[in-house]
Amino acid sequence: MHRIPRLSAALPLPLQLTWLIPIYGFSGMVLSLPWATGWIKRNGPRPAAYLNLLVTLLAVLHGSVVIRMVSELGPQHLEFSWFQATDLNLRIGFDLSLTNLAALELVTTMSLVCQLFALGYLDKEWSLARFYALVGFFEGAMSGVVLSSNLFVSYFLLEMLTLSTYLLVGFWYAQPLVVTAARDAFLTKRVGDVLLLMGVVGLSAKAGSLEFTDLYSWAAHARESGAIGPLGACLLGLGLIAGPMGKCAQFPMHLWLDEAMEGPNPASILRNSVVVTCGAIVLLKLMPVLVLSPLAIQVLLAVGSISAIGGALVALAQVDLKRAFSYSTTSYLGLVFIAIALQKPGIALLFLFAHGLARALQFMSVGSIIATTTCQDLTELGGLGSRMPATALAFLVGSAGLVGLLPLGCFWCYGLIVHTLLPASPGFVAVFLITNLLTAANVVRVFRSVFLGPVMPKTRRAPEVIWLMALPMVSLAVIVLLLPWIMQRIDPVPGIASFPLPVGLGVAASGLAGVLVGCLLPQDQFWSRSSQVSLRVLQDLLAYDFYTPVIYRATIVRLVAGLARATRWFDLTVVKGLVDGIGRLSLVTAEGLKLSVSGQLQTYVLTLVLAIVLLLGVLQWARIGI
Amino acid sequence: MLLSSLLLVPFLGTLVVLLWPGGPSPQRLRLISIAILALQLLLSLLALLRFDGSQSSLQLVELHRWLPGIGLDYSLGVDGLSMPLVLINAALTLVSAVITRDIDKRPRIYFAMLLMISGAVNGAFLAQNLLLFFLFYELELIPLWLLISVWGGANRAYAATKFLIFTAISGMLILGAFLGLALLTGSVDFSLTPVLSERLSMGGQLLLLGALLIGFGIKIPLVPLHNWLPDAHTQASTPVSVLLAGVLLKLGTYGLLRFGLGLFPEAWARLAPGLAIWAAISVLYGSLAAIAQTDMKRMVAYSSVGHMGYVLLAAAANTPVSLLGAVFQMVSHGLISALLFLLVGIVYRKTGTRDLDVLRGLLNPEKGLPFTGSLMIVGVMASAGLPGMAGFISEFLVFRGSINVFPLATLLSMVGSGLTAVYFLLLVNRAFFGRLAITPPCGDAQIDSRLDVALAPVAPRETLPAIALVTGVVGLGLLPFGLSRISDATTTAMSLVFPGVS
Repeated sequence: MHRIPRLSAALPLPLQLTWLIPIYGFSGMVLSLPWATGWIKRNGPRPAAYLNLLVTLLAVLHGSVVIRMVSELGPQHLEFSWFQATDLNLRIGFDLSLTNLAALELVTTMSLVCQLFALGYLDKEWSLARFYALVGFFEGAMSGVVLSSNLFVSYFLLEMLTLSTYLLVGFWYAQPLVVTAARDAFLTKRVGDVLLLMGVVGLSAKAGSLEFTDLYSWAAHARESGAIGPLGACLLGLGLIAGPMGKCAQFPMHLWLDEAMEGPNPASILRNSVVVTCGAIVLLKLMPVLVLSPLAIQVLLAVGSISAIGGALVALAQVDLKRAFSYSTTSYLGLVFIAIALQKPGIALLFLFAHGLARALQFMSVGSIIATTTCQDLTELGGLGSRMPATALAFLVGSAGLVGLLPLGCFWCYGLIVHTLLPASPGFVAVFLITNLLTAANVVRVFRSVFLGPVMPKTRRAPEVIWLMALPMVSLAVIVLLLPWIMQRIDPVPGIASFPLPVGLGVAASGLAGVLVGCLLPQDQFWSRSSQVSLRVLQDLLAYDFYTPVIYRATIVRLVAGLARATRWFDLTVVKGLVDGIGRLSLVTAEGLKLSVSGQLQTYVLTLVLAIVLLLGVLQWARIGI
Repeated sequence: MLLSSLLLVPFLGTLVVLLWPGGPSPQRLRLISIAILALQLLLSLLALLRFDGSQSSLQLVELHRWLPGIGLDYSLGVDGLSMPLVLINAALTLVSAVITRDIDKRPRIYFAMLLMISGAVNGAFLAQNLLLFFLFYELELIPLWLLISVWGGANRAYAATKFLIFTAISGMLILGAFLGLALLTGSVDFSLTPVLSERLSMGGQLLLLGALLIGFGIKIPLVPLHNWLPDAHTQASTPVSVLLAGVLLKLGTYGLLRFGLGLFPEAWARLAPGLAIWAAISVLYGSLAAIAQTDMKRMVAYSSVGHMGYVLLAAAANTPVSLLGAVFQMVSHGLISALLFLLVGIVYRKTGTRDLDVLRGLLNPEKGLPFTGSLMIVGVMASAGLPGMAGFISEFLVFRGSINVFPLATLLSMVGSGLTAVYFLLLVNRAFFGRLAITPPCGDAQIDSRLDVALAPVAPRETLPAIALVTGVVGLGLLPFGLSRISDATTTAMSLVFPGVS
């Protein structure tokens, strides 16, 4: 691997070494291996955790140094040659723009916070080292994805994310639910990945380079120059959006995120905040290529809208604490998809940023509740507000950061997007406001059920969590409270408040309506199904996630299983049957011929004569034929 | 002399093992064989050092007249196509010898056969004369038949006979094609000169190529000629399966590239669209059949059928990138399938079964096979084409090289790549996840929780070869330029003779 001289030698060392940042995460994994595999048993798995925390801290610090330098020197580009053969040139490229680096800092910081949180959450976990090894891998892959300037590298790392998601979801692999959850997580993402791979391979063959900037210039002229037909562009676009759809858990590939909640909570924090962000960032980078295919854009808008409203509705009907919010993640990423598809990348990024931090905080408080009560069933929780004040506060701050009501992170994003979309596409404005309303209702519903109400058996003895979990949670709460100020720093022009007051009031009104709905929702301890048929049907529809798992089983799973069975039948009956049949035929004929060996001379002579006659006859006939 | 030594060492080794005085113990015989195979690996590496990857021509050529009357020359040479395969052969035979344990039945013959196969395969990869290739191609047949039929499982007689008949037919067709080439061109020169076919009519070319396709198609194997493979694998012992999947199948794809594509480029271009579809069918059929298997070894065997289909796709497309992908796929399939068979072998030895309906929860850290299971996850992920491992870059090259030429067949093959994830995930999920038990699930959680299984721990030396293979798989996945430097010039030159129809 040799350095390409496109890099100026005068660049400061920390900048030149930015490629180390993803490596920090991966090296964390490698460093954990001796404990994860059990080679070192003497001192327990903790050293692996400390080593990982150390390298992640290094990544955070290195990233902040790079940000400072880039803001002085302007965006930079790093490139290495990786694989070159004939006309194929695969390179590793990193774009050091402020946006990418901000995303990188989000990833590494969240990873650090989660690892600290996990020290407390997985305190007595046997396989702590394995967890940290996987998180290190996760972090490395994510850091690479956000920095990548190249579709090949993005794909490469997205697949690594798929693998580590599978392993993290399957962390407690002895439990039956975890087994199916891990399988579904891998397969749904894999479907997206294979479709994305089709897009990547096609694009690589058509456009040559996979560098995003080259792809943009290729895409700008591809239609006029006839490099790609309408059908090809369509398929290409659909393939390319499939990968981010799977990663961001969008309908109909959202199944995995909900089941992935079977994994350990610290991993859920990462998954719901930064992993989905990575998927959206890849989509964002692909957007100029997707313009080739109007159909793909339409699909993106449709998928985003369905995910936004559908996810928020399904979230309302969940009784599992983690699932109630994982569907909400699907819903928010749907909003981001709409923003990306409507070519509002700046707002989409702000949304991702605000959502990522607030969602992480929300999941941390959820993790605290689960760690204390060992329960994540809403029907068995209640009255925690006075017992776990810090957690309750974190929950409130996180939720307020997500809902467009109080002037925290997402409020400003809602305001900006509503303001920009209002003139051209009021339909999508409605989607945003409805999602805001439903999300607000959902958090209020969950808050009432968990923190208010009567104390339940499982929440009677519920002390506040230990400092290892409280510290990251409270620090993150402070960050979420300061978010508007940070966002203002990131986006000084035109500023996050560049929308008129009525728009802000509209957003706040939708949030307030949601809060009211959440307050008025009947709080039934046993969540019994309604006696009214129409209501019950709706309840079931939402609680079972629009029956998506059933639909999957009835369609694609059944198709593949059927084909597999048919192939097996064909293989055993036709192919093997034919082979065995020929074998048996030869044996049977031999057995039959054996009987003709009588030992009588006459028979032999007769056979001989017949054979000679036959031979001569054939020869004669052949000569006439010629 | 270097290439001759690659033949001499294993063949002399065969004699050494057979004639070693004083009734050596199986352990000692194993060590002797390992030493000989290590020497062979060293010599192969030496050949690699001497090899100049920037040239597409034959290198280290050795030519001696042997029987000029029938056109049989002792002519050896190596290029970017055969060099990686020679290395894979040396490495994987060594692995097979290392993982051979508890041979109580005729250890002398066993190790002699192992060495003989290795020598014969080297000969086939290095031969630059059609008849010489054929000699070596047949020479490997009988030892392998013995290895399956003597040291195999319960149903070994059936599997071994099937293997013998199929491969013998394959040999006859190939010999027929070579002789037919001499007959139709009227020359008794069997040296590997691609220009010969120019003297042939298209009909003659198609006929001979057809014979080669079926002949090598049996060996690869391509659907529907694959029937011998799952049986041979399930009955063969682990080291033999490693050898069979890792090395011997490559003879088929090598032959297809060297002789099918090399000797009859025009006819090849004519048949290419059909071949691409055939490849896609093979890929999908192998993958779908693998999904329905419950025997781990059978599943891996069917995955071989699927994954070798990619090589045919790449060969059909015949572009510089796709041919390089074909070489990559051969190497990576060799490493990955060897790894998978090896790990399945460990599971079988420890649990006594390979039935996916019976095995559960093997990852259990205390009583199960956690490390073997972790390596298995790496292996299946590599096979499913996860980046960072050998399978990904190979498949990427194959697909990238083929998609412009045969878009439909390529996309279908990519679906097959997705299906690989399905069946291997089923394998890992069923056998390794869940609660440890070696009984069919009964649905009653209480009974399940009372099942108590404690498997014998796996010694580090048992997993050492697997670790070596994992290193190779990850190394090739992360640093693929090493292999491309060896093969790039050759594959580019091959495809330029008749570039893919576009």
